[in-house]
This record gives sequence, structure tokens and C-alpha cells, in this order.
Amino acid sequence: MKFKNILSNKIYAVVFLTAVVLISVSLLMAVNNVTAPKVKAQQEDKIKSLLSGIFPQMDTYNYEDEIYTVYQDDKEIGYAFLANGKGYGGEINILVGLDKDFIVKRVIVVSNTETPGLGSKITESSFTDQFTGLSAGDIFLKKNGGKIDAVTGATISSDAVAEAVRNAMLKKIDAVK
Amino acid sequence: MQNEKIGKRFWKEFAKGIIISNPVFILALGLCPTLAVTSSLDNALGMSAGVIFVLLCSNIIISSMRKIIPETVRIPVFIVVIATFVTILSLVFQAYLPPLYESLGIYLALIVVNCIILGRAEAFASKKSVLLSISDALGAGIGFTLALIIISLPREILGTGSLSVVGRILFKLPVLFENPMAIFILPPGAFLVIGLLLALFRWLGVVKNE
Repeated sequence: MKFKNILSNKIYAVVFLTAVVLISVSLLMAVNNVTAPKVKAQQEDKIKSLLSGIFPQMDTYNYEDEIYTVYQDDKEIGYAFLANGKGYGGEINILVGLDKDFIVKRVIVVSNTETPGLGSKITESSFTDQFTGLSAGDIFLKKNGGKIDAVTGATISSDAVAEAVRNAMLKKIDAVK
Repeated sequence: MQNEKIGKRFWKEFAKGIIISNPVFILALGLCPTLAVTSSLDNALGMSAGVIFVLLCSNIIISSMRKIIPETVRIPVFIVVIATFVTILSLVFQAYLPPLYESLGIYLALIVVNCIILGRAEAFASKKSVLLSISDALGAGIGFTLALIIISLPREILGTGSLSVVGRILFKLPVLFENPMAIFILPPGAFLVIGLLLALFRWLGVVKNE
């Protein structure tokens, strides 16, 4: 009699927990179906507005092999790609825009977790504007022989951005050619 | 007479969460997300709204199931319920409130292990009626919200020299805006503010000692 009680309790516990999990998963699948298209649209909008910021005359763009090719009137006017590097506080993601001669048109720091007030200043145009007009070979910090002034007090973050941009440029320019 | 009694209990459980058993200042629960999100008023409000939603939903569900939850899998069941609501919240924020979703970052997912929610489920919702569990959740949730607002106001004002609500800048202080005391929006500042506020509460005697 006692044995039966314990056994049925254990089975009931397993069944109950399984049922709860199944209901939870179904509910989450339903919610995800509703929200997923919205999230995807948002991410595309974000990329589109970032690319338009770099290439104001952009009509359309194409995404293949991790490279955005930007078109105006069906002519290729530039390329863009995401560069990432390890900063002081974590991963830094940068959208790099090049013109058709592979010179930097503009870079935008898309995400970072650097120290607020110090490393986070890499997102400001006073830092990123320096990249405009440079070719890959110039993208080093001034103290390393390049043309980029680091953000005061945030050498590691600044260096991480320069290195990420330069490495991605070398890799992608090769791929496009 | 019965309805009057229930009404009185409802308000008692509700009021308890706001001052006497304030989750942050008295129970010292959920301090990790508190420290992290109070760097700005908007983040604090966003997190509070999320916590109230999860707390309410999980208390209601757990309380309605309290008589059929087997003892041995009690905690896993609570956690599955709480995690489900946090995931729903996360998906909804990601789709409809992307800036808030990005500022809260990992702390949104961490609501699952916010001790306030599991604590209320274990100590209250699993034992009391649905109605009382609702008032308990609202009380603790609003108490949490008030605590977060009280902490984030000095942190944002001193740490950035300005105050914004829902993205709109309310005011900027003249000298402080150009030279903000950045320490207040960094972790040490969080500890300082919370520590000082705890001391203030105890000194004012608002807190009833255990």
C-alpha cells in the first residue's frame, strides 16, 4: 500500500513537470511566431538606415558572403561589412563602409560594452571620423605609426577598433577582388 | 462580513510589499539587477514593469496550481513557469521596445533568477489563494519599482547631470551636465547609493527590525 503511494507520486511528479514544460514550450512557440517577423524587419531596417547613413545616394543593396554591395542606379558605389574585435569590456561590432576604391567612406560602431564615459567614446564621430579617407595600411593608432588618435584614457578600446577595422578590410577587400 | 475581511487582507498583503517588507531595502532581494539597471531612470522603469509583469503572472499561475504541484518537483515547476514569462517578456520587448531591450541587455533574462520572484512563489503563492497572491505580487512589484526609482534618481542626476523619462530629457543641470560625476553610473556608485539609502531608511525608523 505504502509502496504504491510512493511509486505513483514519483510518476505523477514526472508527468506533471513534463506537462508543464510542454505547455510552456507551446506558449513560447506561439509568442515567438507573432514577434519573430517584427524582429527580423527591425534588424533589416536598422542595417538599411546604417547603410544609408554611410552612403546617402544608395538606392539598393545586396548581401552575399557577409558583404553588403551598395548600388546607385544599378552601379556599384561601395561595399560595407561588419567588423568585430575584442575591446576592453567585450565585443565591439563596427559597420565599415568603403567606396569602390576600397577607401574608407565611414565607420559606425554598432555595439560595444566598453566603459561608459571612457571607452564608450569610440562611438562618437570625433573618433570615427578619423577613419574616413584612409586605406587599410593607415589604420593604426598614431603611436603605432598610423593616423588614428586614440580616445584619451581609452587606448585599448581605440586600438581594438582600429585593429578590427583594418583586419576586416584586408580580409573583405581580398574577397571582393 | 466575509468580503470585508478579504478586502482588508488584500490591502494588508499589498501594503506589506511597499514599505515593511520592501524587497530591496528590507528583504535585500534582487540586488544584482537593482545595481545594474538603476544607472538610468528609463532602465529602472523598464525593468520594474517587466518584474511586475512576471511576478504577477507567475504568482497567479503558481497559486492556481498550488494544490496539484507535487512536492518533489516544486522548485523546477516554479522556475519553468517564471522562465516562460520572462521569455515572453523578452520576446515582446525585443519586437516592440527595441531600445529598452538593448539597454536592459542580459538583465532582462536574469529576471528569471531575481530572488524576489522565486521568493514570493515559494513563500507565498504556493500556499495562499490566487487573490492574495495577486495582492502580494502587486505589493512587492510596486515596492521594487519605488526602490528602483529612489535609487536611480540620484544616480542619473549626479552621474549624467540630467534626467530623462521615456527618452525625453526633463532637465539638465548647468555645471553637472558638462562635468558629471561618472562614478554614480558605474558599479561603485550603485553600491554607494544603495548603502546610503539603506542607512537612511534605518535611521528614519521606517524599517521595522526583524
